[in-house]
Amino acid sequence: MSASAETSSSANVLVEIRDLVIGIQRTRSDRLIIVDSANFDIKRAEILGLVGESGSGKTMVCRSLIGTLKRRSASIFGGSIVFDGMDLATIDERKWRTVRGNRIGYVPQSALTGPNPVMTVGKQIAEAVRRNRRRSDKNVRGRVMELLDLVHIRRPEIVYDQYPFQLSGGMRQRVMIAAAIAQDPDIVVADEPTTGLDVTVQAEIMKLLREIRSEFNMSVVLVSHDLALIDEVCDRLVVMHAGTCVEVGSVSDVAREPLHPYTIALNRSRIDIATPGAPLVTIKGNPPAVGEWPAGCRFAERCDFVQQDCTIGPNPPLLEVRKGHWSACLHADALGGSGE
Amino acid sequence: MPTPWEAVVSEALIEARDVSVTFGSGSRAVRAVKNVSLHVDQGEAVGIVGESGSGKSTLARVLAGLQRPDSGEVLFAEESIYQRGKAYRGDKRRLVQMVFQDPYGSLNPRISALAAVAEAVRIHGAGTRAEATSQSLKLLAQMGISERDAGKKPRQLSGGQRQRVSVARALSAQPAVLLADEPTSAIDQSAQAQLLNLFRGLLDEGLSIALVSHDLGVIRYLTQRVYVMKDGEFVEEGATLDVFDNPQQEYTKKLIASIPGQDLRKAQS
Repeated sequence: MSASAETSSSANVLVEIRDLVIGIQRTRSDRLIIVDSANFDIKRAEILGLVGESGSGKTMVCRSLIGTLKRRSASIFGGSIVFDGMDLATIDERKWRTVRGNRIGYVPQSALTGPNPVMTVGKQIAEAVRRNRRRSDKNVRGRVMELLDLVHIRRPEIVYDQYPFQLSGGMRQRVMIAAAIAQDPDIVVADEPTTGLDVTVQAEIMKLLREIRSEFNMSVVLVSHDLALIDEVCDRLVVMHAGTCVEVGSVSDVAREPLHPYTIALNRSRIDIATPGAPLVTIKGNPPAVGEWPAGCRFAERCDFVQQDCTIGPNPPLLEVRKGHWSACLHADALGGSGE
Repeated sequence: MPTPWEAVVSEALIEARDVSVTFGSGSRAVRAVKNVSLHVDQGEAVGIVGESGSGKSTLARVLAGLQRPDSGEVLFAEESIYQRGKAYRGDKRRLVQMVFQDPYGSLNPRISALAAVAEAVRIHGAGTRAEATSQSLKLLAQMGISERDAGKKPRQLSGGQRQRVSVARALSAQPAVLLADEPTSAIDQSAQAQLLNLFRGLLDEGLSIALVSHDLGVIRYLTQRVYVMKDGEFVEEGATLDVFDNPQQEYTKKLIASIPGQDLRKAQS
């Protein structure tokens, strides 16, 4: 069965990403491909985790969901992102303006550099509120207050007139979340929203994302390289390696029976489950550099279960190995249970 | 060959006694560190945890000889280091090395990993250029950086590789103590595992490590003792596993409860 089988299995699919190819056109004939087969769905009101090492393409996939690839001089060369009858891979900037911020919100990686430093918190959120619905100034202020309250900012009337530098990292990230949900989007994309924040603050932000999901039925795409965090807050996860989705499934299925050696290796290198002082298992080597992908499976060189047929032919496709659980490993069936 | 730090006899390699640091003055004064005492013994890994703004990085800088405390004493091998305005004079300087959070910010972007390490090796007295190069390659190999990668510039290396280059630079001085300020927070999980394995190897060889971090998982894994810092003070200290399994202070309990992968999910449902 191919990845597209996921479509038929559930009606509450919000976004279908199929065979997405993202790259940079360096010269007329030279393309650097960064992501070459992203395949997954985003379901309504789910928290979907996106994990992978730096350079695996997870940020590029996020950017394709909010239409800001161009800012990194990248573009989509193939595949589709179907959302509410539109193919986000092909729509133009004018159309994007009706989607970005309105239907799909975005919480940037760094709360420290995300907000505009010379604009008060209130004005920034007001900008997001005003976007395209014409509201009177009084209504805008009311909505901003409501949003600040939703993200649990205490004394919103004071924070309204403050500048980002007057707020802590956690508060700033709450402000960014308030702006992201201002238009009641269907999806919020959060790209490593707690990098550099304290664990206690991280726990609060995650709690907030869960609340948003359950109160407003929003889907959240959470990018992280922290598997413990993904396990804790997400419903399903997508594991990316070297520009490819290598495993997709529910968090509990993937934890119980990881079906890709990369996921198994990632799980084994987790520090939160390691015995203090005992050697940590590491993944050998480094991920292949963008543009230097080998034939066959791109994880083969680092894989503990590598077989002869792994290093030849095309990049293995993502297949549904168990119901609702996809893997791009040619030998996924033989792996069953080796994650324990 | 005896390792250089075997020459140091005292048990507590670094000791801080009643150290305070204040930034600014008058009504705007911020007391970043308040009457803190700690010790790092030979071959020991000690953790300092706390949230941003708790003063842990300032404390690390004090221990490294980079920030003069307003009051209190810092001793290295029982000798005060902030004497007559000079911290860690002469050979002492070499024995305490620091690794910073952001390896990209602490490496010169224009020179290769090998050149960066060789520079440090030469400063610490390895004779000829050729000797420095071979010693640097050896250090880098120990850190898991191949000869091929050694020729690369920082931007061509991954975050984890860069951090290991920083560690190689620090080790080129053959230090007795490594002060690491959030060394794993900017790198991927698998790179983090590599770095921690490396630290464990160094501990086995007798190096002492003071690890400053807000990542409790890393602290729990690597350190034997831990100091929990809040608003410039230590609120709890003890054997790491004791503190984690049986925290006494509310603040420590809250920190530990925030580690992902525990019972946040239960608490919410």
